[in-house]
Amino acid sequence: MRFRHGLAIACAAVALSPQGARAADNIKIGVPIPLSGPTSVYGVPILKGAELAVQQINAAGGVLGRKLEILSRDSKANADEAVRLSRELIIKDNVDFLAGTLTSAEAPAVSTVAKENKIVFLAPSSKSTILTDEKHINPYIFRVASNTDVEGLAGAEEMAKLKDVKTIVTIAPDYAYGRDSIAAFIKALKEKAPNMQVVDSQWPKLGEPDFTAFINAMMSKSPDAVYCSLFAGDFVTFSKQATPLGLFKKIDNRLVDGGEVGTIDEAQALGKDYPYGIIANTYDPVIWTGTEPPEHKKFIEDLKAYTKAQYASGWSIMGYQMIEALAEGIKKANSTKSDAVSKALEGMTFDTPVGKRSFSVKSHETFAPEFWGTMVKDANYPFALLKDPQPMPTDFKAN
Amino acid sequence: MAASFLFGQFMGGLTTAMFLFLIASGLSLVFGVMRLVNFAHGSFYMIGAYLAWQAIQWVHPTGAGFWIATLFAACGVGVLGGVVERLFFRSLYGREELYQLLFTYALVLILGDAAKFLWGTGQLSVSTPPVLAGSVVIFGSTQPLYNLFMMVVGPSIAFFGWLVLNKTGVGRMVRAAQMDREMLDALGANVGHIYLGMFVFSSFLAGLSGALVTPIQSIVPGMDVLIIVQAFIVVVIGGLGSFWGTFWGSVIYGQVLSFGILIFPSFSLFSVFALMAVILIVRPWGLFGRPL
Repeated sequence: MRFRHGLAIACAAVALSPQGARAADNIKIGVPIPLSGPTSVYGVPILKGAELAVQQINAAGGVLGRKLEILSRDSKANADEAVRLSRELIIKDNVDFLAGTLTSAEAPAVSTVAKENKIVFLAPSSKSTILTDEKHINPYIFRVASNTDVEGLAGAEEMAKLKDVKTIVTIAPDYAYGRDSIAAFIKALKEKAPNMQVVDSQWPKLGEPDFTAFINAMMSKSPDAVYCSLFAGDFVTFSKQATPLGLFKKIDNRLVDGGEVGTIDEAQALGKDYPYGIIANTYDPVIWTGTEPPEHKKFIEDLKAYTKAQYASGWSIMGYQMIEALAEGIKKANSTKSDAVSKALEGMTFDTPVGKRSFSVKSHETFAPEFWGTMVKDANYPFALLKDPQPMPTDFKAN
Repeated sequence: MAASFLFGQFMGGLTTAMFLFLIASGLSLVFGVMRLVNFAHGSFYMIGAYLAWQAIQWVHPTGAGFWIATLFAACGVGVLGGVVERLFFRSLYGREELYQLLFTYALVLILGDAAKFLWGTGQLSVSTPPVLAGSVVIFGSTQPLYNLFMMVVGPSIAFFGWLVLNKTGVGRMVRAAQMDREMLDALGANVGHIYLGMFVFSSFLAGLSGALVTPIQSIVPGMDVLIIVQAFIVVVIGGLGSFWGTFWGSVIYGQVLSFGILIFPSFSLFSVFALMAVILIVRPWGLFGRPL
């Protein structure tokens, strides 16, 4: 009997101990994101960026005197799983906010959970316009990433800069992202370069292993340039097959890609097989050729120290910005209540290592520009670098 | 439409076909002889690709490294296949197909996770060996040398297999095992060894195709499942277990895919699946197969 009493007292002591109290005081952020499977190649670096931001904010005293705490869960890039984990994080772990997901399948699904539970949710990377369009917007969803309209416009601006281009063929993966980004590109091109014409569009499936037939079909139209939304492993396969078929030679490397193949991660995968001379984009050039902002330099140094990697990933910045935005919103609201934070985030401007970003009041997104430029050889690195990165588009008007 | 373009499209389809033939022939062989539907064949192919990449990192990513790496990968996967056959498949022969399917499916999951654990989830890439990095112009269409090389290698290796199977003493034993396992056993032949040999050869082919595909494709998790679906379409069209069926199945697959995207550019996969559906309805045992 006495023993049982002792146990009860011990439990109570633990529950009331300063440590227990401090944990309860933390501002908890639930992060469902793919940590296994093919897409974890993006999910893991985004989470690392978020963790770095949390570490730095906590070291500087936290937010409203409280520490931030990340509770990460593996969403496996599956919408159902992301929804289940988000509910669990809210109900079981009492998280104050949700921040995460990777794909445009997960983010809109989690957005509905955020709406039901009235909890602010920040999506770091989903680009599909349906996440925050008029039909799907709710007070709690905020998008840190760019969207396909912005990407298509930037691509059209880059294309318009090219000389001697009259005919263009496009190639993009056959699902929502690919279809949306090509539609946005074609729409923007009509305005930016009315003399250029898209003469053919190819739609290989996502994960296509053999692009030969598509490449031949593209070349049969004798285009002056190619606009492409292929990314990650698909772009690796595509360029390895297109090079010996002579596509890049035929179009004089006038290929513009909006699928972040300018990211250092992609450049490392292709190594010296990278089709130098193409125009590509990335959220973060990591290795900055030209004048690097000092904030970015510090961010990359911190990131490399935190991840203990030789080269940082180009995706971590999205997780970093996601936490920066949330912390700024909590500070501005002077509260961790989602309704107050949501109000604070609307129209709020926040600092990032690559410049200021603002959430639009109407569609809760930053319309973040990405860095675009020509991919060039560099004697100091065994992979291609983005030359003189420029934030694009320069001419985006939120409707 | 220019003739050179049609020729290019035809050659593109043929390249696809010969790659698929190399992979599907191993799958078809194991089914033909052992009545085993090996879903993990695609996983062996993927392991072959990763092993080739790994070997190139060891040897040094120069041109000479590629051929050694390919041999290493093919042999490595052959050994892996042998171990799996001895330890697991042996107790599955003669059981219901469902058990075999379940087991090989489990193997797909295990090998897929093992690959992720060992090589991570990012995309890996292998350079084309310098000798074959160029291209030539035939009838006005540019043909990569590596594709032409594959068009020769794929069928030669498979044809070699067919020759062994049909023209040698070993081949006769294999065919006997296919027809009546018990009788061959009773006659004193070691059927276990024959099965082991067949499985090792089939795995070797899978590993070889995996290694040979690396210069023209990225190595990513999920390539196992993707290829096994394609290989199954090929053997369904051609007829499971039939050598020439697999050959023509691959050729048809490649050409339908190649020219299909000209007719239905927005539905690139539609033509192939439509063809498979038609064949399954009209001739369920495939073009060259025999009714079971």
